[in-house]
Amino acid sequence: MLFGIPDPQILIGYGLAIGLALACIVYGLLNWNKEGSNDGS
Amino acid sequence: MAVNPITMAALVLIYLAATLIIGYMGYKKTKSAEDYLVAGRDSHPVIIALSYGATFISTSAIIGFGGAAANMGMGLIWLTVLNIGLGILLAFVLFGKKTREIGQRLSAVTFPDLMCKLYKSPLLQYIAGFIIVISMPLYTAAILIGGARFIEPTLGIPYSTSLILFALITAVYVVFGGLIAVMYTDAFQGTIMLIGMTVLLALTLIAVGGFTAGTTALTNMAHLVPKALADQGMTGWTSMPVLGSPMWFTLVTTIVMGVGIGVLAQPQLVVRFMTAKDNRALNRAVLVGGPFILMMTGVAFTVGALSNVYFYQTSGKIALDAAGGNVDSIIPLFINGAMPDIFVVIFMLTLLAAAMSTLSALYHAMGTALVCDLWGRGKECALSMRAHQYGIVLMMVVSTILAFMLPISIIARATAMFMGLCACAFLPAFAVGVYAKAPCTKAALSSMVTGAVIWFLWTAFFHAAEAKPLGICQAIFGKVTLLGSPWTAVDPIVIALPISLVVMILMQWQSGNQQPAAVAA
Repeated sequence: MLFGIPDPQILIGYGLAIGLALACIVYGLLNWNKEGSNDGS
Repeated sequence: MAVNPITMAALVLIYLAATLIIGYMGYKKTKSAEDYLVAGRDSHPVIIALSYGATFISTSAIIGFGGAAANMGMGLIWLTVLNIGLGILLAFVLFGKKTREIGQRLSAVTFPDLMCKLYKSPLLQYIAGFIIVISMPLYTAAILIGGARFIEPTLGIPYSTSLILFALITAVYVVFGGLIAVMYTDAFQGTIMLIGMTVLLALTLIAVGGFTAGTTALTNMAHLVPKALADQGMTGWTSMPVLGSPMWFTLVTTIVMGVGIGVLAQPQLVVRFMTAKDNRALNRAVLVGGPFILMMTGVAFTVGALSNVYFYQTSGKIALDAAGGNVDSIIPLFINGAMPDIFVVIFMLTLLAAAMSTLSALYHAMGTALVCDLWGRGKECALSMRAHQYGIVLMMVVSTILAFMLPISIIARATAMFMGLCACAFLPAFAVGVYAKAPCTKAALSSMVTGAVIWFLWTAFFHAAEAKPLGICQAIFGKVTLLGSPWTAVDPIVIALPISLVVMILMQWQSGNQQPAAVAA
């Protein structure tokens, strides 16, 4: 039992939710100045 | 409520004044129809992210689904996974950029207009506009009901007056300021929501002794699961229901999939992509959007589940019993009981902000669909700001009348129904439309109509949660649903979306390269 939660499905859910939010931050930072092919059209 | 009503009223009035001032700033910046419809295609990334998130998250997500987490447990966290993974990452990165590029190139100003220009089919615009004008008032009415039900006890204003005032105040800045005013106020309201939910999480964790202490206590309460819920498959608040049980189907198909997937093709959200100046703005918006949604739904579901610990420690009851069996009352009851008075005020403003941000977006989407996509399709008048103002007022009146006719308990159900219908009718055609080199018009038309019709049939004749209150199946066949368990718990999206998707893919594949190269190429 991790963090008081016995079901791995719940733990994975929390891990994914937090991980995806972090992934959004990383994506935004890495692509901060990245332009698309049609930008400025 | 222990909060001084004068303090509460003063803060609400300050909030409303700030909202109207920000709306006025949007009005002053609105000079053209493009400003009014797509915010001049020049929105700031933070404004886009907060507007998208605040439009997405309504009172239903916080109160309705927070209460559902108190009832069904932490399994709802999977909805947060889909909200961020599909609703932000996939939506912005895969669909958002293409939608912005194509929308800008084709000068599309509404979601049905985008579909029409992608597929070169006015009929598609009529059908999409018709679905929006018919179904969105239901969702809008649910938001109105939720807002009025909150204003009534908080400010001591009668329900009917609350509902009309709520509708009118929100409509004022939408009608005059268009999408710029809507997005500016959304960003302000989203900021209030972020502050409110952050404080809610911190105070809840303090109340239950920290996250691990709270979840451990919640795990040890598994034996308190009511027999009725245990018979439905519930095993505890920190574990998923039994695989394949009625509660598992409700949690996974209706709540997680229905709402999680439904967000991908909501017209009022797709339009947000077309307000970005370039793809950099959308990349930057992802940075804000992901954490924002985590702090909205992730916090609501965690707090909802942990409220059981608080209620058990203070009253010896689980949350559902403490709230007298009303799931929608759990979060407000928890806030009033466990939080300091000042936070009760902050949370009430959070709820008002959540309701108004969603409501304003729906007014704008419905009004523009009525004028641009149905009444004035293809005509120059469709781009008249005055015409859109009349359209928004008309749809506001229709939604308000509907709100007076619907039962209070419709809030969460109407939200799930609208999102499910959007996904079934629009998602396959929208996804193929923005990516296919030669999108097939017949495929899109067939997919859209099939998705909407199958969704309606399953809703009216098979899914007990809707079939029972609608009563159509009962009236025709003399029974609540045509099939028994477990089909009665399977959400319409699980049936209608795959069928709509298969129709789209098969017909698109059949059309091969016979279609002329589409503008999306």
